[in-house]
Amino acid sequence: MSEPRRLHPAAIIFNFIKGIREFLFVLIFGFITFRDESLIYFILILFALVLLLVTYSIITWYRFTYRVEDNELRIEYGIFVRKKRYISKNRIQSIDLTSGVIHRIFKLAKVQIETASGGDGAEASLKAVKLTEAEKLRDELKNENTPLKGELEEEETTNPFYKISFQRLFIAGSTSGSLGVIFVLAIGATEFERFIPDQFFDNAMSWVIGLGIALIVGFVFVVLLLLWLLGIAGTIIKYGNFTITKSTDELFITRGLLEKKQITIPLSRIQAIGIQESIIRQPLGFVTVFAEVAGGSLDQGQDFSTVLFPIMRRDEVEEFLQEILPEYAEHPKEFNPLPKRALPFYLFRTMVPVILLGVVVMFLLPQFSWLVILLLIAAFGLGFLRYRASGYDVKGNRLMVRYRTFSKMTMLMYHKRIQAFEKKQHKIQKSQSLATLKLSIIGKLGVGKHYSLKELNADDLDLLSDWYSYRE
Amino acid sequence: MRQPPVNMIARDAIKAWKITAAIYVAVLWLATLAIAIISYHYTLSYWFVSIAILISGLSTYLAVFLFPEIRWRRWRYEVFDQEIYIQHGILIVSRTLVPMIRVQHVDTKQGPILRNFRLASVTISTAATTHEIPALLEEDASELRDRISALARVDEDDV
Repeated sequence: MSEPRRLHPAAIIFNFIKGIREFLFVLIFGFITFRDESLIYFILILFALVLLLVTYSIITWYRFTYRVEDNELRIEYGIFVRKKRYISKNRIQSIDLTSGVIHRIFKLAKVQIETASGGDGAEASLKAVKLTEAEKLRDELKNENTPLKGELEEEETTNPFYKISFQRLFIAGSTSGSLGVIFVLAIGATEFERFIPDQFFDNAMSWVIGLGIALIVGFVFVVLLLLWLLGIAGTIIKYGNFTITKSTDELFITRGLLEKKQITIPLSRIQAIGIQESIIRQPLGFVTVFAEVAGGSLDQGQDFSTVLFPIMRRDEVEEFLQEILPEYAEHPKEFNPLPKRALPFYLFRTMVPVILLGVVVMFLLPQFSWLVILLLIAAFGLGFLRYRASGYDVKGNRLMVRYRTFSKMTMLMYHKRIQAFEKKQHKIQKSQSLATLKLSIIGKLGVGKHYSLKELNADDLDLLSDWYSYRE
Repeated sequence: MRQPPVNMIARDAIKAWKITAAIYVAVLWLATLAIAIISYHYTLSYWFVSIAILISGLSTYLAVFLFPEIRWRRWRYEVFDQEIYIQHGILIVSRTLVPMIRVQHVDTKQGPILRNFRLASVTISTAATTHEIPALLEEDASELRDRISALARVDEDDV
């Protein structure tokens, strides 16, 4: 394994695409300025540029070599300035394989190697490697002291393994955030009419009225349905074929229909486990399980926390965690709720923005007052739900905090993962002997992630601080 | 966490804060002056000027005269062998516990205003948060920095 290897020639294509993307702005700009008089020159320059880019891509590919030697991944690259990057095996935090659409045609994968240092890019990224070779490389770079091949395969069969069913995927899609988008759009659409010039609006309006209300309703319905279906499709593409496997010290996740992603999470990097019950899924009894993982980089995807399982029934979580992360299982049936006197704070906090908005609306658009009242009732309900959801529980070294913004979140974290513990109290809270708790753990990119639990009983919080304190 | 931390920060912190606040407030007053000149020039309503003066006056009172005193009285810290305990805040009082084994590094810092009073601030960073003790006597600050950094040199467990 020590002889230097090159990437698959398809990497040339990726280099080229990347080059084009960087020049795209210049190209468009050039096209617009030279459009009329000197288009021929522009095309000539363009031709030269493309030629240059192709040679550049090829040389870049030719110069890029990698090898595994002395427990290190050694990469050498660079055209004019030769660069060498050596990454020691035991510094490697995770190895992700991604196969985009083009990758899959050639049976390739992109290998991204992350170390602990955050940063917004992978520490090393091999753009195109044969899938089989990528998997071999991953096994080779894993921190274990090169277990025997036979042993590894034997283990594979007994490892806990979870796979998403299509039906679940469909439920996940149909209850995904796209419903929220639809709601916003629906409200936005009613406001939209104000930006259309009057005359056009009048003409269009008389035309539309000619069509009849039924048709409009039908049209809106179709658009909403389309958006909803798009949401489902998006979820299915993103989480299709989702599987999660546990080996001795890491979790291994595969997901994606078009772009196939394989993610490894070392168990020791997991800072907290979260269970999210979104407001749409909660009544159906479905939850999402996710993990806060330290380190990693931005290009691991837009979801800030790593999803351990996109959707499962609430009563399956226990068993799932028991298998995958036993130290996070055994949830308490009951938790310490907030005292009754916290409720006014919660109602106040959710309702004040609506009240302020309401005053403005009633002043400017009195005909929409009914909407304000509706929103006010919703805010009251949300405030109450937030109050009801909030609480904490301590079990040995493990702390559970539960709160709600819109989704109900249950976070489980261990004493040794909490970086700082803060108690906050303002005058009004103090008079009611309430206080706010703030916990900090390490999130993605090595940036802190903070959880607040507002209006706890101040005495309870003091007990919690004793639990946290390292003082004897 | 029931008892507040015992150590207070340097008394001169008040003066340093007052100067810093005065600089910020001066900018506000300059803006007020500009508004006054413009309104006079274009004979605009006096409302703008009065509001500007009100805002500047109030900010001056709060930031320069009221807050530094309160903030100094609130600011407390205590360094134990196992953790650092900090209290601060004017309207919202925060009490923070930072375990020693979570401390990544400690810095001392000194801007021109703090240097003038022979003060320095100590910044304590964990992997997720930073905490600042804003004004200590120079020698206290460096002593504290060395002490924390020595105490924090415990075997690091996996993060």
